[in-house]
Amino acid sequence: MMGAWQIAWFTVACAAGATILMLPAGVLIAWLLARRNFPGRSIVETLVSLPLVMPPVATGLLLLVLLSRRGALGGMLERLGIEIVFTWKAVVIAMAIMGLPLLVRTARAGFEQVNSRYERVAATLGAPPSRIFFTISLPLAWPSVLAGAVLGFARALGEFGATIIVAGSIPGETRTLAVAIYSYTETGQDAQAIRLVLVSVVIAFVALWSANRLVERRAA
Amino acid sequence: MRPALILLLVLGSDPFQLPAPAPITVSAAVSLTDALTAAAGEYAGGGRGAIRFNFAASNVLARQIVNGAPVDLFISADEAQMDVVGQAGLIQEGSRVDLLSNQLAVVVPNDRPRTFGSIKDLADPAFRRIAIGDPAAVPAGVYAKQYLEKEGLWQAVASRIVPAGSVRAALTAAESGAVDAAIVYRTDARVALKATVAWVVPTDRGPRIVYPAAIVKASAHLTETQRFLDFLRGASAARVFERAGFTVIPTAPR
Repeated sequence: MMGAWQIAWFTVACAAGATILMLPAGVLIAWLLARRNFPGRSIVETLVSLPLVMPPVATGLLLLVLLSRRGALGGMLERLGIEIVFTWKAVVIAMAIMGLPLLVRTARAGFEQVNSRYERVAATLGAPPSRIFFTISLPLAWPSVLAGAVLGFARALGEFGATIIVAGSIPGETRTLAVAIYSYTETGQDAQAIRLVLVSVVIAFVALWSANRLVERRAA
Repeated sequence: MRPALILLLVLGSDPFQLPAPAPITVSAAVSLTDALTAAAGEYAGGGRGAIRFNFAASNVLARQIVNGAPVDLFISADEAQMDVVGQAGLIQEGSRVDLLSNQLAVVVPNDRPRTFGSIKDLADPAFRRIAIGDPAAVPAGVYAKQYLEKEGLWQAVASRIVPAGSVRAALTAAESGAVDAAIVYRTDARVALKATVAWVVPTDRGPRIVYPAAIVKASAHLTETQRFLDFLRGASAARVFERAGFTVIPTAPR
């Protein structure tokens, strides 16, 4: 049996990878939704939030259909020699998709709170949109982006439904904390399951405690 | 006055109102899904009462029953999981019977069909991922591991095993192409739409696969449940099971 802390480490690493994966896309989408009017805006808005409302298992099934060797994208990737389903990459992708709505919604609120006059003034002074974004919008909205990333990371840590469908429960390869607890419970290995539950409590406690400390320090 | 009247109307026309006799709840191994549903259809068609099914991997069902799930009849895919319930003292005395037998089969996605000359072909590096039921408890996985160990193949393929939550989950993995092969029951292979059989494990080489059935002691419908179990051991149910590929075990109660 793989050690409990190894599983914990794997889960945290995958969640961190998912957060890094969702940040660029999430921040861009959040900014577009907050600041730009474009055709299909409400469609994008709804699509991004879909994983928040759909059963995670349904999201997992969609990912499987898309990414499996017989799927639309999976077939292409296979020809390139890239395997996703039932590997750690599937874990990261499932986590990123499930965390994305939380990141986008939180970051978007942050971008909306930035006084748009600063952005307009910069534009009249000739700054290109990318410079306005990186020197004004993003720094001013940073606390919300960070909060969104923390939320997305937290959601990724606990992801279960989509992960078990698209990544399975392969010991030492795709077994995250949530999936391992489920597998151990299902197969009657209660002692191992309880050990992992305790590990999850420790991780959740440390994460929440440090997030609160961060907020306190900011307020002080 | 008014709300009370509406309430009365709603309650009086309850579309979910249960017909007599009350349906019995059967927790059965997921590999029995198609055959048992067909058999229960014949049973209910004869006006003998409705059956509610709860299909899952037998180890999951056993745990549900041990934890107090209101189940009338349990049909497991192996003796070990029936023993779990038996050792918890939850089986109606003398009701346990061996109902069916089955065989293992190796299936592959049907866009890459193959036929094995022997099970040794499974060691081919082309099979990078092989799904089986979780060998820690899922009966199909326990059987598959036993078989591969007996054939001296377990060491060679252990690192390529993808443990699945049930035998049907292993089959689905093969059908989606997510794995290159899966070891399932011959009966599962028959209902597969996108996977084909590469190898059927001969009965004299494979593990002895037995589906025991027993009435759960806490059942509130002992008579009705016994009647359904008797039906499952009768000739018309036997035809349904044999059509699905099961072997009916004709033995006296143990």
